[in-house]
Amino acid sequence: MKKLVLLLSLVVAFGLSAPAYAHFQTIYTPQSALSKTQKINIKLIFTHPWEAGHTMDIGKDQSGTIHPPIAFGFMHKGKKKDLIETLKAITFTSLSNEGRAYDVNMKLKGMGDHVFYFVPAPYYEGAEDIYIQQCTKAIYNIAGAPTDWDALVGDPLPVEIIPLDKPYSIWKGMSFRGVVTCGGKPVPDAEIEVTYMNHNIEGNKFVTKENMEIPQPDLVPIGIKADSNGEFSFTFPNAGWWGFCALGAGGDLKYNGKELSQDAVLWVQVVDIK
Amino acid sequence: MKKILIYLFGFLAALFFFTTYAFAHTPLCSCYDNGDGTITCEGGFSDGSSAAGVSMTVQDKSGKAVTEGRMTEDSEFTFKKPSGDYMVVFDAGPGHVVEVPGSEITE
Repeated sequence: MKKLVLLLSLVVAFGLSAPAYAHFQTIYTPQSALSKTQKINIKLIFTHPWEAGHTMDIGKDQSGTIHPPIAFGFMHKGKKKDLIETLKAITFTSLSNEGRAYDVNMKLKGMGDHVFYFVPAPYYEGAEDIYIQQCTKAIYNIAGAPTDWDALVGDPLPVEIIPLDKPYSIWKGMSFRGVVTCGGKPVPDAEIEVTYMNHNIEGNKFVTKENMEIPQPDLVPIGIKADSNGEFSFTFPNAGWWGFCALGAGGDLKYNGKELSQDAVLWVQVVDIK
Repeated sequence: MKKILIYLFGFLAALFFFTTYAFAHTPLCSCYDNGDGTITCEGGFSDGSSAAGVSMTVQDKSGKAVTEGRMTEDSEFTFKKPSGDYMVVFDAGPGHVVEVPGSEITE
């Protein structure tokens, strides 16, 4: 009987934690809109941002081997700069565990948009028996000049979200629109998860303090859909970093004999107003 | 006939006004220290248009011009860093001037 109770509670616990499976790859820096050339720190973390929950080892396959990232760099004034060699492996601590992440200290130089992109090696998610590869973008700007924010990055990103609103000039109350693309073409009716970085990052860990109370935890992450042109919009209820993830934007793919969910992720910063 | 001329004048005036207004975007200028004794400034406008040809002046503490030039085709202007306090002036016409104090220009 005791065993049955234990089993049942495990089932219930698993069932309750199931909605928390919303993986998000980050390209994180504290400020997206900078006034001038300066040194910044960027962190690549594969985590559950809303809960500051389970953090995955980026690029870990079914056998437990961690594969190095495939691509990391930025596009500025139409030119791409590869930064993969500058990445440093770090251990990132969530509220529940530790995981392999990466960071880089660099000087962000030159007026205009710097469209950062990251392609990790596929990660094996045992709970779903699938591989996940999140092709991620974050756009940082210096001194306000709009140069690249609305452009397609293309190679090396197989899938990406193209912003229709400047992702670094959103103030609380404003909305954001984007288009989910695969190979540069819109993905109609794309399924999108929206997450919020509800715990700030300090050093290489999440802080325990929440930025906002979740009205109903089983509705997190927020689910939205693109229309027939791959376009979506979202109005933010709070300031902070918001992430959009178009699930399986790459279509039906296989990796190591398993289903591969190739997702397009974009991060947008909402700034508070006094 | 007079009426037509007045309308025509009004129309042209309105056209001129709106055309001028179309250039009323925010001027932008951002500079950094190259670390080799030179400073590079980049310019542009908030709508993404180029600042090529815009007049650039570097003034010393007393406001005297020590270097003068124009933004290149790539909207850039590089100059030798003055020894004392200085000010960079990006001048794209009345209401479109940006002043960048040398003290705010870092590597």
